[in-house]
This record gives sequence, C-alpha cells and structure tokens, in this order.
Amino acid sequence: MSARDRILDGCDLETFIVCDDVEEGKSLGLRLMAELGFDDADVVFCEMGGPGVRIRLRGYVYRPAAEYRWYDQEADSIE
Amino acid sequence: MNEPKKVLLAPLDPVHDVGLKLIRKKLMDRGHEAVLLPPDLTPEEIVSRALEEKPDFIMVSRALSYGTSELLAKFVDLCDAAGLRPRTKLVVGGLSMRPEMAQELGFDAGFGPDAPAEAAVDYVEGKEIVSIVGTRPRSKVDLTQGYTYEFSDKEIGDLCIQAAKQLLDWAEERTSPGIRRAQLRLEMEEARSKGRSEDVDNLRAEYAKICSGEVKQWYQTGEPVSHTRPLTRKELKEIELLSEKKDHMQFPVSQDILNDYNVFIQYGTGCPEMDAYHSIVSIAWGARGVVHFDPSWGARTEGLLEQAWSHEHDGTVITLDNLNLIKKALLPGTLWQVRAHRGLNTPETVVLAHLAGADLTKINMVYGSLGAGTDPERLVVDGVESMKLAARYNLPYDVVTNEELCGVPAAKAFAGMLVVATAGVLLGGRPFLQPLFAHSPEAIIAGTMDDNFIDFNVAKMKVLSSIIDAPIWPGAPVGFLTQSQDRCQSSVMTALHAALALDSGAIAVTIASSDEAYAGGPITVPARIDTLKATAAALRFFGKGGISPTAEVDKMACDLRNDILDVLNKLVARGDFVASLYEGILGDREDGAYPGRAGRGTVTLKKV
Repeated sequence: MSARDRILDGCDLETFIVCDDVEEGKSLGLRLMAELGFDDADVVFCEMGGPGVRIRLRGYVYRPAAEYRWYDQEADSIE
Repeated sequence: MNEPKKVLLAPLDPVHDVGLKLIRKKLMDRGHEAVLLPPDLTPEEIVSRALEEKPDFIMVSRALSYGTSELLAKFVDLCDAAGLRPRTKLVVGGLSMRPEMAQELGFDAGFGPDAPAEAAVDYVEGKEIVSIVGTRPRSKVDLTQGYTYEFSDKEIGDLCIQAAKQLLDWAEERTSPGIRRAQLRLEMEEARSKGRSEDVDNLRAEYAKICSGEVKQWYQTGEPVSHTRPLTRKELKEIELLSEKKDHMQFPVSQDILNDYNVFIQYGTGCPEMDAYHSIVSIAWGARGVVHFDPSWGARTEGLLEQAWSHEHDGTVITLDNLNLIKKALLPGTLWQVRAHRGLNTPETVVLAHLAGADLTKINMVYGSLGAGTDPERLVVDGVESMKLAARYNLPYDVVTNEELCGVPAAKAFAGMLVVATAGVLLGGRPFLQPLFAHSPEAIIAGTMDDNFIDFNVAKMKVLSSIIDAPIWPGAPVGFLTQSQDRCQSSVMTALHAALALDSGAIAVTIASSDEAYAGGPITVPARIDTLKATAAALRFFGKGGISPTAEVDKMACDLRNDILDVLNKLVARGDFVASLYEGILGDREDGAYPGRAGRGTVTLKKV
C-alpha cells in the first residue's frame, strides 16, 4: 500500500523559494513537485517578497471521478 | 472524597505558569495539597524541591520552545536518578504536548492544549482519563422557528404584498415543461416504489419527450451525457463503507464552538463519493449544514438524469440516486440544502429534494433570471410552482441575491428578494432572506467599502431586519471578492465575514473554502478545514464582545431603505413583475444584469 494512495484529493506543499522573480519561483516550484513525483501539479498561490516567493503548490492525487485507491488495501471486503 | 494527594506543580519555563495555577486551584477545591514552584527553576532545582516535599505527583508545564523534548527527557532522567519514581508520578502538560509524546519521554501522563484542568485532577484522583473528543449535534433544528414574517415597515410591506399578489396571479394561469416533469417525476417515483414497472416505463417515455439536449439523448439511447459516467460498484460500496464508519469517527473538540452556530458549506465536486467525503469532513470540523451544488449545464437543459453519476467537472449531477448516496455521509443533525434557484428544472429539483429527505432548498426567480441565464418568464412560472411544492413539503428555502455579484445594486436585489419572499409567505412557505455579504461591484465602484467591510454589510442586516421579521442567512458564500488565492488571507476574510454576519443577527451563514479564489482545479478537503477552523477561531475571538460598525452605518441603512422603497414603487407602478425583470427595474444591462435566454418561449397558458 502506498501512503500516497490514502491522500483524499490533493497534497499541498507550502514553502519559501529563493529566486529572482515570480516566474522563476513558479518554475522552481513546479520542478520541485515533479521531483516529488506529482504529475498533476499546479501553483495555487505565489507571491514575491524580498529574496524570493512564498508559494503554495498542489499535486492532485485524485480529481473527482478518478479511480480512488483509498480502500484498495481493504479490497477483499469491497470487491 | 478521595484520599488527599500532594502535588508539586513546577513550571519548567522561564515565564508561563497559568495552566499550573489553574490546576492548583482545581486541586485545592477538591481537597488536595498543591505546592506551586516559581517559574524559571532548573530541572535540578525542581528535583531538589521534590526530594524535600515528597509529593505523590510532580506536574511540570512547558510552553513552546526549541529543545523542549531534550529538557523534559533530562528532567525525567534526573527524577529517576534521584530515586523519586517509586512513589512519585510524573506528569507533563503544555501547548506543544501530546499524550504519546509524554509517554515517549518517560512521563506517566501528558496533557495537551485541548485537555481541561479537570483532566489533570481526575488523573491525580486515579480516575480514568477519557480522551477529549468533540461532539456534533444529533438532532436537526428548524432555523425558521419563531419568525412571524410580519412587516414592521408597513410602507414597504404593502408594496411587497401588492407586487407578490400580482406575480402569483400571473403565474397561476401558466405552466411549463418543467412543471409537467416535476409531476411526472413524482408519479414515476411513486410507481417505482410500488413496483409498477409498466407505469414507470410509460411515464418515463412521456418525461423523455419534454427533455432536451444530451439528457433527452440519454433517455432515448442510453448514451451518457458528456463528461459523466455511471458510478462503479466499487464506488457505491465505498460510500456504504464511509456511511458505516461515520458513527465511530472522532470530531475535533477545538471546533465544538461551531455547534452553537449554523455554518453551511457548499459541496459539488462532481463525484458523489468525493462529495460524501467533503460533507463528512466538513461536518467533523463543525459545519452544521451542507449545500448541494449542481453543474451549470443542468440549468440550461430540460430534464434531469436518473441513476448515480460521476461528473468530471464542477457541480454534482442532481438525481435521486446521487442525492441518496450523498445523504449517507450526513449525520442525523446535519441540515441539508438542495438548491432550486435557477435553471429549467427547479420544480423537479424541489420534488427530488423532498424525496431524498433534504431539509432546505433555494429559490429566487430574480437572481436566476437576471444573473444565472434562465428566461425570466419561465423561471417565474417554475419558481412559483417550486414555492408551492416547498410549502407542501415543509421545506424552507433561502431567497438568494447573488445578482449583486453581476453589479446589480443591493436596493434592486433586495426589492426583488422581498417580493419573492412575500410571495413565498403568501403560498404558506418559510423563506430566508439571503443578502450577499461581499465586496460587491456596487460597493467597489461607489467606494462604499473603501474604509471597512463592516458598515455596508451591517447596514444590509439592519435594513432587512427593520422591514420584516424573517430569518436572515447571508451568503452564498460570504466574503465574495475579498478572498484571494492565499489560503491565510482567504480564511481570515471568510471567517470575519461569517463572524460579522452571525454577530449581526444572522440565523445561519454559508462559507467558502480557502480555495474560493483558486480556479486551477477542484476544491480540496483541507481547504474546507481551513475556513471552518478560521471561522471557529473568529467566533471564539469575538464571543459576546461583538463587532461595532462606525456611525456611517445608520445613514447607509437609511439610504438603502429609501432606495428599496423607490424600486418597489416603480415595480408596483409597472404592475407586471415579469415585465419588470425584462425591462430592468430589478437590475438592468447597465448594472450588469441580463435577462436569461434558457427556456424562452416555453411557457404556455393552462388549459381551462
């Protein structure tokens, strides 16, 4: 069972990235999400201030109508 | 009386000892001996005092700080080395403490920020420590109870009654395919429940004839509507599983304050299973009610689907099966609203809300036809039928005024709302007034809210409550155009608007999630928790202290009342509610209101 399968919908990552402008911050943020293995990722919020951006990134594990796997480890009782 | 114990209370902290002082008082009240040491002693000094005092318990407290774990572990080691442990139990408490953390550090017990002082005293007296969990209301409330719907403002009341009677008389002579389908749906479900399959087939065939677009296609060919798919057997079973689990779930005690209020959230992810999760999570974090949010295409299409469907985009398809599935996630005390405020299926939606056991619905022909795309004539005919059905089924409904978001001034929106609500009361219904709590385009352009967001919103509440004794439920959701993609800012704005509404006399409030201004994907469950947490915190913060507007509020309320009167005078002088909608008396193109086109030309005179 993957812990990631148990995420209800999306996984948000909130941090501060040192960069020169918002675009660089967003680009680095999305690269970070890709490095973490989130294919369906987006920037929810990004604001430049001082040495970088405060950024909130979201990786959707399941969008509505996707095939959820929260209970697949209990498959015997479901299927 | 328990055997008195001796307790040494030691703040292992440079400053903070309020928690221990509170525990000392509770211990002494119950006959125990409590020795409180001053703050800022070292672990060694506390152990030294313990050797002198020979207490039964040592209770140390520690506020948040770096190195807390190391310090507490060192204290436990010193107690062990000094030989205190055989007769003395060690207890720790503090904002950063959790019971499992206390155990890992070697303490006999630990209390976190949610534990009351009594829990520590119970522990001293050898009573079982019951984990502190929240509760949620187990029974429903009637939010309209006690309201008389009498007009205090007779001048405005007389005009509302005149306009409402005119619109009811006009609608009485007319009908629509939406009304016919509502009748067919009722008959179909009755036949289905009695196993009369031939009748069901005949009624279904008749129903299909008066549907349109992809819904008609589905009835005739079985081809699913775009971006929808039937729920799988696995999904249906998972909803059952969630329903079974919900009775054993824990609720955060920190959110119990919301039990004293009526805070609603809107769900409508597209998927009934995901909606079930959004609902139960929101209820766990204190939502008293949930509102079903349907897809916008459903409002432009004649006819509603049957069976259980998942939808890939915003809004969850309204069918009896979908509603029944989502209902499985609700608690017995949860209030449930299924909206019928716009579109071509409003009477049938009220029928389905009733059949599914919903508690509330939403009806307003003015918003639906000026701000949501439905033809005014059609929506007035269907809206009146919806109000009749709501009265028959004992379903209260809010009369929403979101046309303000299009730019319609509050005075026009309120005039329309008051006339529709009056018509509802004349039909035996129990409407809520739903003023928009938002930084509305009118306010932005006029600068009404340049100084603060309090005065204009409070003025709205004052005006409405001075006109009629009716329940007010601001929404929907509150805080429109003040939220951003920043979840902190969004949560704060939502919470402040909710607190302001409830402080100003609202019986209920609908809040957004912290994803309100994010359009890149579906709302996530943590975003719902954000604003429920923020709202609970705001209500705790203001308490009975309340929020005070500036002196401007009375002038704003007076101006708004006079503007409403002016609109109502024009409406009554025109003598035709539906014509007034087309002609802009309740909001014109300059304001940003456009009479909708969906369903135009479908109203017919009833056969005599």
